Amino acid sequence: MTFLQPWMLAALPLVALPLVIHLINQRRFQTVQWAAMMFLLSARALSRGYSRLRHWLIMLLRMLAVAAVIFAVGRPLSRGWLALAGGGRPDSAVVLLDRSPSMQAVDPAGGGSKLDTGRRQAVESLVTLRPARCLLVADALRGPEEVAGPEAIAELAGGGPAAAAADIPGMLQAAYDFLRENAAGTSEIWIVSDQRANDWRPEDGAWGGIRDAFAKLPQQVRFQLLAYARPAAGNVAVRVGGVRLEQRGRDRQLLVTVSLVRQEDGPRLTLPLRFEIGGVTTAVDVELSGREAVLRNHAIPLDAAAGTRGFGRVSIPADADPADNEFFFVYDEPPPRRALVVADDPAVRRVLELVAGIAPDKDVPATVDSVAPGGLATAAWDETAVLLWQAALPTGRDAELVDAFVARGGQVVFFPPEAPAAATFAGVSWGGWTAHAKPVAPESWRTDQDLLANTLSGGALPLGELEVRRSCGLEGEHVALASLPGGAALIARAAGAGGVCFCATTPAARDSSLASEGVVLYALVQRAIERGRVVLGRARQLDAGPAAAEFAAAATSWSRLAGPDAAPSTESGLHAGVFAAGERLVAVNRPAAEDTAPVVSDDRIDGLFRGLSFSRTSGRAGDGESIVQEIWRAFLIAMLLAIIGEGLLSMPRRREAEAAPRGFPPAEAAA
Amino acid sequence: MFTDRQPRAFLDPAVLARLAAVPLVARRPMVGTVSGRHASPHRGSSVEFAEYRKYVPGDDLRRLDWRAFGRSDRHYVKEYEADTNLRLCLVLDTSGSMNFGSAAVTKIAVARRIAGALAYLASQQGDAVGISCVADGIVRTLPPRRSPAHLRLAFDVLDEVKPAGPTRLPEVLHELAETTRQRAVVVIISDLFCPPPDLAGAFSHLRFRRHDVAVFHLLDPQELAFQFQRPTRFLDMEGGAAIFADPVDIADRYHRAVQAYLDDLRKVVLESAVDYHRVMTDESYEQVLARFLVGRAAARGLR
Repeated sequence: MTFLQPWMLAALPLVALPLVIHLINQRRFQTVQWAAMMFLLSARALSRGYSRLRHWLIMLLRMLAVAAVIFAVGRPLSRGWLALAGGGRPDSAVVLLDRSPSMQAVDPAGGGSKLDTGRRQAVESLVTLRPARCLLVADALRGPEEVAGPEAIAELAGGGPAAAAADIPGMLQAAYDFLRENAAGTSEIWIVSDQRANDWRPEDGAWGGIRDAFAKLPQQVRFQLLAYARPAAGNVAVRVGGVRLEQRGRDRQLLVTVSLVRQEDGPRLTLPLRFEIGGVTTAVDVELSGREAVLRNHAIPLDAAAGTRGFGRVSIPADADPADNEFFFVYDEPPPRRALVVADDPAVRRVLELVAGIAPDKDVPATVDSVAPGGLATAAWDETAVLLWQAALPTGRDAELVDAFVARGGQVVFFPPEAPAAATFAGVSWGGWTAHAKPVAPESWRTDQDLLANTLSGGALPLGELEVRRSCGLEGEHVALASLPGGAALIARAAGAGGVCFCATTPAARDSSLASEGVVLYALVQRAIERGRVVLGRARQLDAGPAAAEFAAAATSWSRLAGPDAAPSTESGLHAGVFAAGERLVAVNRPAAEDTAPVVSDDRIDGLFRGLSFSRTSGRAGDGESIVQEIWRAFLIAMLLAIIGEGLLSMPRRREAEAAPRGFPPAEAAA
Repeated sequence: MFTDRQPRAFLDPAVLARLAAVPLVARRPMVGTVSGRHASPHRGSSVEFAEYRKYVPGDDLRRLDWRAFGRSDRHYVKEYEADTNLRLCLVLDTSGSMNFGSAAVTKIAVARRIAGALAYLASQQGDAVGISCVADGIVRTLPPRRSPAHLRLAFDVLDEVKPAGPTRLPEVLHELAETTRQRAVVVIISDLFCPPPDLAGAFSHLRFRRHDVAVFHLLDPQELAFQFQRPTRFLDMEGGAAIFADPVDIADRYHRAVQAYLDDLRKVVLESAVDYHRVMTDESYEQVLARFLVGRAAARGLR
């Protein structure tokens, strides 16, 4: 409970007024000569239980009445039953809005979405609290935006729903930066969120720093979380896993892989999937029995007259969360599969040229360029998807070229040279060669993702059948994708650069059986090529968020082709839709984690704010009640009840008259 | 006959004149020394026939009923009731508590008026009047006498007595029961601030001695109502320890204690056949005495 006029609580010592009056009254006694002492002595000997209880009850009720008046004058505010943090009118209030798609879930009982409800409740609360300054943080990148008053938050264009995940730690950091530089007085930070893990990222190391930073602020900062953690019942999310244009003779068709996901098991459902491509709508029913159903390579024939480039949308009927009921996709002719091979060892070069030059799809041409380390400048970098390097790590001008290639999304796989040097790339350098007495096979490897993941049919790559006779050590920070017995990495990614991969042996027969057991090397290289091609294509799928926003900002032009038109231009990359970015088509959709991220437990959230003034109020979408209400009426009613109770207890006259001694003969007879 | 010319504050001639119309009678036979207007346990020469009795030698022949002899040929003596005078013993409580009065009148003042009026009325009809002032013992006593001079002495005693000291009424009543040998009307005028069971013993003792016991129980209205607004320090008028109490806190229990006392006292007076009269100090003592006298006149005839 907080108070709009907390200084009135300074009058709380007046609660003791009835007690003081009682004590003063006790001291103002009179002295009388009294004859009937035997009755007084008898009265004192009688039980005083009820009398004393009544006496103290009267005193208590009088004190309660005074306290209720003082509290009522202090204009108390109700903040829900859980929020008992004290405090008065804040100097500034910062509202952090989680605008992620999951916040657009609505309650089946009616009412608005979680976002609408949370925003309205926050606005109503702040209208009551009337802070001197009011700010909105709708996006970590934009930072706090000052608004004229709490009511303006509801009208602010940037406070609407978005397709990107909310970066709660980033938003808190932005709020901290603002408070540190601007706010001098007591501040309140209101967080409106559904506590999804992908928005809060409780494992993020930034939380410790944020917590410490707020704790060190000179002014008092209170955190109020309006939590709408209840998951949307029966919600199903649709997502396009892949789109591939296939040319069969003169016919052209689009192969679309669609997945349906729900967060909890439910009854078997048959959902109609609607595909809209170029104004043409097709539908297909998909049965969802568990938590996930995948429709693989659903073929949608395309009009032969239409171009090879286009976009579309897949949707399911409306459910609890409308934000995940559609997904945009774009397609184009596949970009060329061009690989660049730099190898000292001709045998190795030959093997790499072979695995890179044989495309898995016969309709897509594959090209391999082999250059010497010195001739990198002349390579066709703009069309290259992958760089296969078996030589001393690049330095100087070569390193700059490779860095630029990696920075724009290219993939690099390094193989060890015969004589490793001290050069470093992406924080990793080669160590010395180790010859194994007996050929060894990888002991473990990551099968869930990255270059060595299981195949689409679920089968594992046959890494266990490899024979590694010689391997080269890796120094520097890296993440092992496959490890040899003893823990040494066989295939690893550089921790500093996502597109850089190291293979600790070569395909040469003296080093390993990568060439003879070619499946592993082929899959590794082709997957690297596939990754590298993504950025080369003129049609790109992007997750809404900072990366998409950066992409949009870097594009020469950014215009919406499909999708909701409520998004302001300042939020490019944060809203779903299909956009034309220069010559490219870009489909922006919600991140995959939005569909599956669990709710962070209350205890975990409490732990994130440990040591800070934090309170949480749980609500649900469509909740019509305000979080903060003035409750002085309740105190006035309490005062009235206390006065009535005191009056009833203090009404001894009638009871005493009834209990007055009748005597005998009766008084009336005597009269 | 009333030769006391000295004005007495506790005597109102008008009241005495009105009360004189009703005789003061005893509820049980009295043994007096002279002829009076009260029933005697002995046969006498009054006009009221009592019974026939067989003649025995030695009886006065003048009392022989010749008509009865003529009818039955047997000798019968005709006997008549004897009327005699009574002894009125006034027992006046003069303990300190009798000095209490919430209004203008104290209990001792009312007691003086009642005692004075009864003494005068008894003396007027030829009865002997005695008075005993008691507190923690017998403070002062006058034996019953019939003379007008004795009445003046009794008035003097009433004038001079000062309420003081604690009450030991039951013990004093026992003592009076022992020392008053002849039957008497014992009128106790007191606030009876002592345990009713103790009083029961004293009353029974007096009754055993064939005394006609009447009690005027004096109470002040404030002693029943107990209406105080402020915390009060109560000083004991009989010299006991003072008590500090908040009347608001203690009033209900005080009332319960008073009610229990009155209930016990009612039981005691009923069992002891005491002629009990409660007298509030704010009511007219004339009415109290009229009620007392009329009640006794109605019961006349019992022997």
